[in-house]
Amino acid sequence: MDDNKIEWIKCNKCGFIQYKSHLRCIKCKNNKFEKINVVGTPTLISYTILYAPPMEFRDKKSYALGIVEFENGIKALGQISSQKGLQIGMKLKPKFEKICDDLDGKEIYTYIFVPIT
Amino acid sequence: MKSVAIIGVGHTKFGRSKEGLLELLCDASLQALENSNTYADNFDSVYVGAMCPGKFNNYTGIASALVDRINLIPAAADHIKNGPASGGSAIKAGYQAIASGMSDLVLVVGGEKMTHITTPGFITSIVATITHHEAERLHGVSLPSFGGLLTRAYLHKYNAKLEWLDDIAIKNHKNGSLNPYAHFQKTIQEFMESAIKKGKGNWANIKEFLKDNSRNPIIADPLRLFHICPISDGAAALVLCNAEIAKKYCDTPILIKGIGQATDTHIIYEREDITTLKALRTCSDLAYKMAKKTPKDIDVAELHDAFEILEVVESEDIGFFKKGEGAKAASEGLTQIGGKIPINPSGGLKARGHPLGATGVAQVVELFWQLREEAGKRQVSGATTGITCNFGGFGNNIVSILVERM
Ligand SMILES: [Zn+2]
Repeated sequence: MDDNKIEWIKCNKCGFIQYKSHLRCIKCKNNKFEKINVVGTPTLISYTILYAPPMEFRDKKSYALGIVEFENGIKALGQISSQKGLQIGMKLKPKFEKICDDLDGKEIYTYIFVPIT
Repeated sequence: MKSVAIIGVGHTKFGRSKEGLLELLCDASLQALENSNTYADNFDSVYVGAMCPGKFNNYTGIASALVDRINLIPAAADHIKNGPASGGSAIKAGYQAIASGMSDLVLVVGGEKMTHITTPGFITSIVATITHHEAERLHGVSLPSFGGLLTRAYLHKYNAKLEWLDDIAIKNHKNGSLNPYAHFQKTIQEFMESAIKKGKGNWANIKEFLKDNSRNPIIADPLRLFHICPISDGAAALVLCNAEIAKKYCDTPILIKGIGQATDTHIIYEREDITTLKALRTCSDLAYKMAKKTPKDIDVAELHDAFEILEVVESEDIGFFKKGEGAKAASEGLTQIGGKIPINPSGGLKARGHPLGATGVAQVVELFWQLREEAGKRQVSGATTGITCNFGGFGNNIVSILVERM
């Protein structure tokens, strides 16, 4: 699965949009989809700052995680570049970067969110 | 379908134990055999609920090991896994075995042994493998981080106060102080007093104590240490039997009147509203319908407060309070012993502790004691009907069990 892109899928039958891993629509069970891309600037729905990271992130003392929603309803969860000044409702922009080395030493690249100031 | 009765229980002290997982499971199981007067009987089946015995304790085939050690051979033995709801799922398997007529006498035991693991982040990482690997786990989530995300979303949506979650922790520690099986048998007042005695600081009252970063550090902002359950060792067990023969073993059997299990989306942010536990709404509804009861009939509840925000949303989605009103209700004392609907008289996961696979079974053990008036100083007076919520994954696989005095 390509995780360097925030991409969801849209059900060909009922139009419901959902995360790309579903093989059958979570609304109507149909198995035909089209890919859809994010539209616009996402808004922060909720966030936390985690001070007890899992082993993969053992090099960091803490980091912020947030759930965002794009203008076309696509949602995503990712780390946020800053731990200060976060607020529900604020705008952020996605950025692709390396976030950690996994336990086998493989570099993990994915999206994070940067607050727009 | 046959009716199913609980005729005896067992419960090790939760907390830090020197015993291994198998020893804890044996201890709780043998207590339950003795308590149910089935020590000399032949069991038809055994269900063991444990979340990670392979990763934490190098055990594969833990159910087979148990029946050998306590000689329940040749009973059928299965290991049931459903994350932190493994205990609830094991009870459901035992219930189905008897209800279907395939078994008459069943042992259900849940347990986990975790405190020997000292590698930082190891338990957090293993538990986080229950989250969606690409959409969630890859980004560094942990279960407490979901607790933090849910808490902030809830406080924002319903204009609730974080202090109300402090009140729930205070209540659960108070209840735990009355439970001889609890991990923490100390009120937060007592935690504060012992810190003062050790010269760690001075605080005017427990509200001030709970605001102090050095005693109550932030773990997953806004959640602090005292909003989160500990890592614990322990096991709990039930003996179930066909209700027609229950009185042969015990004077006051407790009936499992309703049982429900339901799932929701794996990715938490794909839910329409992350502050609503649809799986709990569905599974508690199944349990109420099966038992022909409503939330108004419930005298006492054991809910899954791995994070204090969960006790709040569960108290709403199981039908005790309207959406958005659970935290305030708790802060007003409605969920204390003696309140309108006592929640977690055991101390809950916060104070009783949370040995993952043991929790769902321990919840029903507590209700067994409550409904038989055997709960000592934490007795909810006159309780005849109780319900549980055992939360698997992060709300994506929940079991609810409704019990009543026979
Ligand atoms: Zn569809």
